Amino acid sequence: MADVPKRILKEIERLNRDPVPGIEVNTIEDNIRYFNVIMCGPSKSPYEGGRFKLELFLPEEYPMSPPKVRFLTKMYHPNIDKLGRICLDILKDKWSPALQIRTVLLSIQALLSAPNPDDPLANDVADQWKTDEKLAIQTATEWTQKYAIEVWAKNPEVKP
Amino acid sequence: MDGDEFEPILGSLQKKKPWEVDFKVYDPHDLLVKQEAIVDRLQSPLALSRETTTLLLRCCFWKEESLLESFLLDRDGTLAKVGLPEHPPRPKFEAGDESFMCEICYCDGADETYLALWCGHRFCRDCYRAYVSGKVHEGESWRIRCPAVKCRTLLGLEPARFILADDKAMLNRYEENLTRSFVNDLPTFSWCPAPNCEYAIECQVPRSTWETTIPTVHCRCGKAFCFSCKHDDHIPAPCSLVSMWMQKCKDDSETSNWIKANTKECVKCKSTIEKNGGCNHMVCRECHHEFCWVCMGPWAEHGQSYYNCNRFDEDSSKNARDSVSKSRAMLERYLHYFTRYNNHEQSAKLARRLLAATEKNMDQIQRDHTLSWIEVQFLSEAVDVLSLCRSTLKWSYVLGYYMKSGNQKTIFENNQSDLEMATELLNELVENPITEDGPSIEEFKRMVIDKSTYVKTRWETILADITAGLQENRWQFESE
Repeated sequence: MADVPKRILKEIERLNRDPVPGIEVNTIEDNIRYFNVIMCGPSKSPYEGGRFKLELFLPEEYPMSPPKVRFLTKMYHPNIDKLGRICLDILKDKWSPALQIRTVLLSIQALLSAPNPDDPLANDVADQWKTDEKLAIQTATEWTQKYAIEVWAKNPEVKP
Repeated sequence: MDGDEFEPILGSLQKKKPWEVDFKVYDPHDLLVKQEAIVDRLQSPLALSRETTTLLLRCCFWKEESLLESFLLDRDGTLAKVGLPEHPPRPKFEAGDESFMCEICYCDGADETYLALWCGHRFCRDCYRAYVSGKVHEGESWRIRCPAVKCRTLLGLEPARFILADDKAMLNRYEENLTRSFVNDLPTFSWCPAPNCEYAIECQVPRSTWETTIPTVHCRCGKAFCFSCKHDDHIPAPCSLVSMWMQKCKDDSETSNWIKANTKECVKCKSTIEKNGGCNHMVCRECHHEFCWVCMGPWAEHGQSYYNCNRFDEDSSKNARDSVSKSRAMLERYLHYFTRYNNHEQSAKLARRLLAATEKNMDQIQRDHTLSWIEVQFLSEAVDVLSLCRSTLKWSYVLGYYMKSGNQKTIFENNQSDLEMATELLNELVENPITEDGPSIEEFKRMVIDKSTYVKTRWETILADITAGLQENRWQFESE
């Protein structure tokens, strides 16, 4: 790795030394800018108990440009579409170079606790959320069970 | 030029015509002067630094009066709302200390140089440069904020210039972005849409009257366009009709009308079928359904009458035929207008080519008849009039297409046909080269000038009438 900015190395070092509770950030060998993330669903949300996989990539311009983050686990959430793309202001126009991998992941976790159906990425899910919130939450709970809990029970040793 | 004076269009001393609007063309330097003039006007009543006045004005999109009012009512609130200090400190780079760490690159310690805005967030010099350059590259200017998370403090113009001081190219770009934002933020300003044209145009005609007074403006680069929709000059058709028409032409919706008029759908599988011969006993190629072309009923009910459908007069088949002929009539109507619209567009293109030829011709006449340059100008003036009329005629067909029939429309069409005829005659006259056995040059000149003057009169008549009609709400339009 020739030109890895000090900032990225320091962030990784800090994440290893002082991990974020409920979020695992794993580096991979051949690309220091790519991370595999496992995020625990926040308690008191339909995602509770689930372990969700994400990928996070730091583009060349990072930290002047935001990291690219995407859920790999299927999600039923009004601000996450079926490709796992996330609608979150700090990942777009509200990005500040003073934000970090840590703060980004915490914000995503917070988004799981507080869905925002008024600024949807997945329109059908957002409509469901607005018309029948109870049913929407039930579906989200079912999806969590199916894609983020049972999957792990079947293949306990599979690392993402 | 004085700040409040507008350039008259189409000649200098003429009185403004009813369809003409006031506007002013600004080059990049004029735009700077204009911005400075507004800041000058407000700086002393606000009693603020120039920097803060400028930022306040930009934050409220240069609405001087509302800014002044809200400032006088609630000075601190107005400043706080846009996140500005009364007298921002002069930007400077300072040497770091033990506690300093740049939140962007994580460099730290006394070796680093940092800058902090009045909000106190410190970032190192290199990061600030990279951050501001990146934003400027994205087209940002005064909206750039302190890089700290959720900090609303505006960077400000002076600090930005200070940070970019060593990068002349980026600094220029920053200034360009500022001007760009000025024009974009003011509803009374617009960039000229011509490629690579750097002029902007100010037009004070209120938005509410754009449908009745089409705000056609003429840029110094030669481009004439509508200030409202930015389309090329489309006088005398209002923007709403133009946009409907362009959509119609683009959709090629008449193809589907043709299909409607010339084909039928198989009752069973809905395949489109064109009957191009043979008897009425149709067998669909797709689903092999057998039916009668005339009444569309199943063939089994027909017996042996291959060429005569005795069910022709039944209501259902009557209705089907009516809708087919109606759709055909609509298509013909559209084609009538489109052919003429298109013809004038093509002729306008030819007129531009004619202009080049005319210039050569003018040279020739000058040499052959020892006339001065000024004396042969009548030819190029005639071609100018031609181009103008072609454009007006072209768009008048769009107007006509949507105009409801009636006496008013008849008057309009008479005017239109007068102008059209006169234009064609002038075109013919200008196009024909001067020959030995033709009229003398003096006579030719007189004919061209006479004809041009007449055409111009017809042009003014129709435009005046259409404009008056729009303002009096005399025209009735129908959308499809």
